[in-house]
Amino acid sequence: MANTMNFDYILPILYVLAAPLLGGLIMGLDRKITARMQDRVGPPLLQPFYDVIKLWGKEPFISSRMQPILATGYVVFIFTGLALLALGEDLLHMLFTLTLADICLIVSAYNSESPYSNLGGRRELLAMLSYEPIMVLTAMSVQIVTGSFLVSGIFSYGTPLLLVLPAAFIVQILVLIIDMKKSPYDVSGSGHAHQELVRGVYTEFSGYTMALIELGHWTKTVFILSLISLFWAQNLLIGAALSLALCFVAILADNIYPRLNWKSMLRTTWLTGFTLILANFVVLIVLEVI
Amino acid sequence: MASALAAFLLNDKRARIGIVSVTALTLIATSLLLFINGGVELSLGHAYETAVVALDFALLLYFLYQGFRSLSWQVIVLSLGQLVPAAYFEFILKGAHVETTLVVDGLSILLTLIINVIGSIVLVYALGYMDEHESHQQEGKSRQNLFFFYLMLLLGAMNGLVYSNSLYWLCFFWEVTTLCCYELIRYERTEEATENGLRALWMGLVGGVAMVATMYVTNHAFGTIAINEILVATPSRYLYLSFALLAIAAFTKSAQIPFQSWLIGAMVAPTPVSALLHSSTMVNAGVYLILRIAPAIEGTYLTYGIAFIGIFSFMITAIIALSQKLSKKILAYSTIGNLGLIIFCAAMNTPLSYSAAIILLLFHSLSKGLLFMCAGVIENRLHTRQIEDWKGLITKLPVTATITMVGMGSMFLPLFGVLLGKWAAIGITATAPMFLSLVMIVMMVIGSSATTLFWAKWLGHFAITPMSGAEPAEEKLSATYKLSLYSILGLNIAASLGSGIVLNTVIAPIVALNYGKVWDTNILVLSSQVGSFMILPLWGALAAAFIVGGLIYRSKGGVVKPPYMSGENVEGEPESFRSTADGVVNYQIAGMFFDPDITEARWVPYSTIAGVFLNMILLALVML
Amino acid sequence: MTLMTKARLKSLWVLHYDCGSCNGCDIEILAALTPKFDVERFGIVNIGDPKQADVLLVTGPANHRNQRVLRNLYDQMPKPKVVIAVGTCACTGGVFHNCPNVLGGVDKVIPVDVYIPGCAVRPEQIIDGVVLALEKLAGNAPKEEEE
Repeated sequence: MANTMNFDYILPILYVLAAPLLGGLIMGLDRKITARMQDRVGPPLLQPFYDVIKLWGKEPFISSRMQPILATGYVVFIFTGLALLALGEDLLHMLFTLTLADICLIVSAYNSESPYSNLGGRRELLAMLSYEPIMVLTAMSVQIVTGSFLVSGIFSYGTPLLLVLPAAFIVQILVLIIDMKKSPYDVSGSGHAHQELVRGVYTEFSGYTMALIELGHWTKTVFILSLISLFWAQNLLIGAALSLALCFVAILADNIYPRLNWKSMLRTTWLTGFTLILANFVVLIVLEVI
Repeated sequence: MASALAAFLLNDKRARIGIVSVTALTLIATSLLLFINGGVELSLGHAYETAVVALDFALLLYFLYQGFRSLSWQVIVLSLGQLVPAAYFEFILKGAHVETTLVVDGLSILLTLIINVIGSIVLVYALGYMDEHESHQQEGKSRQNLFFFYLMLLLGAMNGLVYSNSLYWLCFFWEVTTLCCYELIRYERTEEATENGLRALWMGLVGGVAMVATMYVTNHAFGTIAINEILVATPSRYLYLSFALLAIAAFTKSAQIPFQSWLIGAMVAPTPVSALLHSSTMVNAGVYLILRIAPAIEGTYLTYGIAFIGIFSFMITAIIALSQKLSKKILAYSTIGNLGLIIFCAAMNTPLSYSAAIILLLFHSLSKGLLFMCAGVIENRLHTRQIEDWKGLITKLPVTATITMVGMGSMFLPLFGVLLGKWAAIGITATAPMFLSLVMIVMMVIGSSATTLFWAKWLGHFAITPMSGAEPAEEKLSATYKLSLYSILGLNIAASLGSGIVLNTVIAPIVALNYGKVWDTNILVLSSQVGSFMILPLWGALAAAFIVGGLIYRSKGGVVKPPYMSGENVEGEPESFRSTADGVVNYQIAGMFFDPDITEARWVPYSTIAGVFLNMILLALVML
Repeated sequence: MTLMTKARLKSLWVLHYDCGSCNGCDIEILAALTPKFDVERFGIVNIGDPKQADVLLVTGPANHRNQRVLRNLYDQMPKPKVVIAVGTCACTGGVFHNCPNVLGGVDKVIPVDVYIPGCAVRPEQIIDGVVLALEKLAGNAPKEEEE
C-alpha cells in the first residue's frame, strides 16, 4: 500500500553498512573540532576506529552473562532502525525500535549490580524521557503535514519540511545534544570520565562489549543525523549539510556549557519541545496549511 | 453459573479442581464455537425475564442490606436510587420487555473469547495461589468455596453482559459484576478490605443508577430499551443523553478519573481477583460499553468529550504510576491508563482508532493478566509487594523472573501487540477538531513517555542481579502455576507474532461492521493509511541479536568481574565496599520515584476534581 | 605491524590513581591533558574506569591501606595493560620510604612497567614515559604476561 520504496534495495543496504564508518568519522571529526576549539591539536580523525579495535582485542571481562547479549541487542536494534529508515518505513515505528535498543542498554546497566552503572542507567532513562517526547512530536508533525508516518511520504511531499516545520527542526538540536552525550545534557555518561559518574551507564562494559556499544552509539548518531537531514528530503545534500550544521552547534554547546542536572534537562526539553512544536502547529492551522 | 453454585457447596479441594477444569473447558469450547460460527440472535422466553427481574431486585435489596450493615450512606442512597426507579420502571411503566434478548456479534464474541480464555487460565492459577495464600493465613476453615463461587459467578455475569440486548438485562449483569467485585475485594474481611469493598460497591452503584436513568430516557424517547434498536435510532438530544449516561456508567466500571480510587484500593484483594478483574473481565465491561455505543455517536461533541476523559485518565495515571512503589499499584495505575487509552481510541471514532481500541483491549488483557499472575507468585514467595525489595529475582526465581520480564516488556516494547495499539493511537490523535487535538497531542505524548519510563524503570530494577556469579536457583513452580503462566505467555507471544493474522481474522471483521476496511496486512507488515508497523521483522532482529550475541560470547568468552566501586570491593561480597576504618558497608541503591513532585497525595485530589468537572462537561455537551 | 597492535599503540586509555601522593605529580599529570601538552593527540583519554583502561598511572607511595585498592584496580583492568609509576614516591617510596605505614614503591604491590622518577615529574617526562610504555604494549599480547 503505502510502502513503495523510492530506491531499490542496494542503496539502503550500502547505507546501513556504511553507517558505522560514517559514524566513526563524525565522532573523530567531533573530537578534532573540540580540540581545535580548545586550542589543542587533538587526536587523528580515525581515532574512534583505533579505540574500537583496541577494545575488541582486550581481555574479555563481563559483568554478567546477559551483558554480551544485551550489548549485541543494542547494536542489532539500532541497525534495524536504520534499515527501516533507509527503506522509507514508518517513522514512529523506527523510534520505538530505537527505544527497544535503549532499553537493552539500560537493562544491561541495571543488571550489573554496580552503583555507578545503576545511576547511569537511571539517568539514561531520564535522558530517554527527555528526548522521546520531542521525537514522538516530530513524528506526529510529519504525520499531520504529510498524512502518514512514512519516511517515503516525506520524500513525496514536495515542500522541504524545514520550511513547514521549522520548530521541529530547531528542537532536534536538543535530541542531538542528549544523544551525543554533550554538555549540558551529558548526565548519563560521556566520552571520558565524569565526576560523580565515572563512566555512568557505560561503567561496567569493557572490551568487546564496550566496542559493541560504541559501534551502536555511532550508528544511532548517524540515525538521528539522517532523520535531521530528512528536513530537506528533496535534496539530500542540503539535508546532510543541515544535520552537520546542527552537529556543529552541538559541539559548540559542549564547549560552552557545563553539565546541568537532569531536572534542568527535563524541564528545558519538555518546555522548549512542546511549546515550539505546538506553536508551529498553531501557525500552520492559521495559515491553513493543515 | 451452575458451576459457581457447585463450587460453593463443595468445599473440598479435589472437587474444586474438577469443577474448575470442567468450567474452564466448557467456557473455552463455547467461545471458540461461537467464534467459528459467527453471530447469533436469541429471544428468550418470558420466564427468563421474570427470573432476571426477580434476581435483580434481590440483588439490589442485598446491596441495601450491606449498606445498612456497614452504615455506608453512599451505598444506602445509591441502592435506593437504583431500587426505587427500577421498581417503578418495571411495575408501573411496564417497560422492561425486549424481543431479542441476546445478540451475539463480532464484538461480543471477541470479548467472550477474552473473558473465557483468560478467565479460565486465572481460575487454574487461583487453585494454586489460594492454597498457598491460605497456608500463610493460619485460618480455621477454608473459605475458598466462597472465593471460587464469586470468581465463577463473575465469569458467568460477564458472559451475560456482552450478550445482552436489553438495557435491563445489561444493568442486571452489570450489577452482578459489582456484587462479585464487592465480595471479592472484601474477601479477607480485614478493615481495609471491607472499606475498599464498600468503595467499589458504591462507585459501581453510581454506574447502576446511571444505567437505570438511561432506561428511563430511552424508554421515554424511543419506547424501547433494546440496545440494537437504540444504536440505530435517529440522533437527538435524548439519544446523546442516554449515551452520555452509559458512558458515565462505563467510566465507573473502568475506573476512569474520577472513579479510579476503587481500583487502586481493590489491590488488597488476593491476586487472582486482580488478575481477573483488571485484565479480562470487570474493567473490560466498561470499555465494551463504549465500544458498543461509539459507532452511534460518530462526529458529535459527545464522542470527543468521552475521548478527552479517556486520554486525560491515561496521562494522569501514567504520571502517578511513576511514583508508586507497590507492584500491584503500579499495575493498577497502568491498567486504568490503558483503559483510558482504549476509551480514547474508541471514542475518537475513526476506523483506525476503533481497531486500535480493539487491539489494545485484546493485548492489554493478555499482558496484564500475565503480569498480575506473576506478581502474585512473586509476592507469595517473597512476602512483599515493595518493588525495591524485589531484587536479584533472576537468581532466586529464574523462571518466574524471566516470565515477568517478558510480561513487562510486552507492555511497552514494539515486539508485542500493546505497542501496536499505542502506535495506532498516536496515529489518530490528530484527527480531532484542530485545537482540541493539540491538547490531546500533548496529553498523549506525556502519557506515552511516562508509561515507557515507569515500565523501563521497573524492568531495570527487576533485572538487578547480584554479582557473585552464583548459579540460578532451581525453581519449582507448581503445576497450576506452570499451566496458567505458560499458557497465557504463549498466547501473548503467539498473538503478537501472528498479529497480522489476528488483525485479519478477528479484528478487521468487527471494525468492518461499522467502519469499513482499515488495514492492509500480511504476516510481516501491518499497514494502514498512517503508516506501517512491523512486529515479525523485529522478532527476527531479536533472534539475530541472540544468535550473534551468543556467537560472540562463545568465541570471546568472558570472565565475570565484580562491579567497579572505586577499588573498595570486598572479596566475596558483591554488594559491599570498605568504608571508614575498613568497615564493611552494603551500598544501597534506591529506585527513582520522583518524591515529592509526584505523590498520590498531591495529584489524586486535583485529578479527581478535574475528573468530576469533566464528567459534568460531558453531560453539558449533550446539549450541543 | 598488525592492525590490532597499531590500534593499541594509537589508543591509550588511562586510569589515574593517587596512592598517597602529595598531589604534585597528579597536578602534573592533569597538566599533560591541557592544551599546552595535549596528550589527547596521542589518543590518550583519562577514562576513570579500570575496566576500560589500558594504562594505570600511579602516583604516591604504596602503604598498608591503599595496597588493597591498588591491587583491586589492577585486577579489574583487562590485559594488555601497563603500569606507570609516576614520581619518586611511586617508584621507590621517595622521602617517605622509611615511614612505618609505607610499604615502599608501587612495585611492592603490583608489577610496574615504567618508572618515571621526579619530584614532581614534568609533563614532558610523563609523555616520554608513556612512549616507553607504548613500546612495551606493542610487544605484549594478552596471552604472554610476565607475572
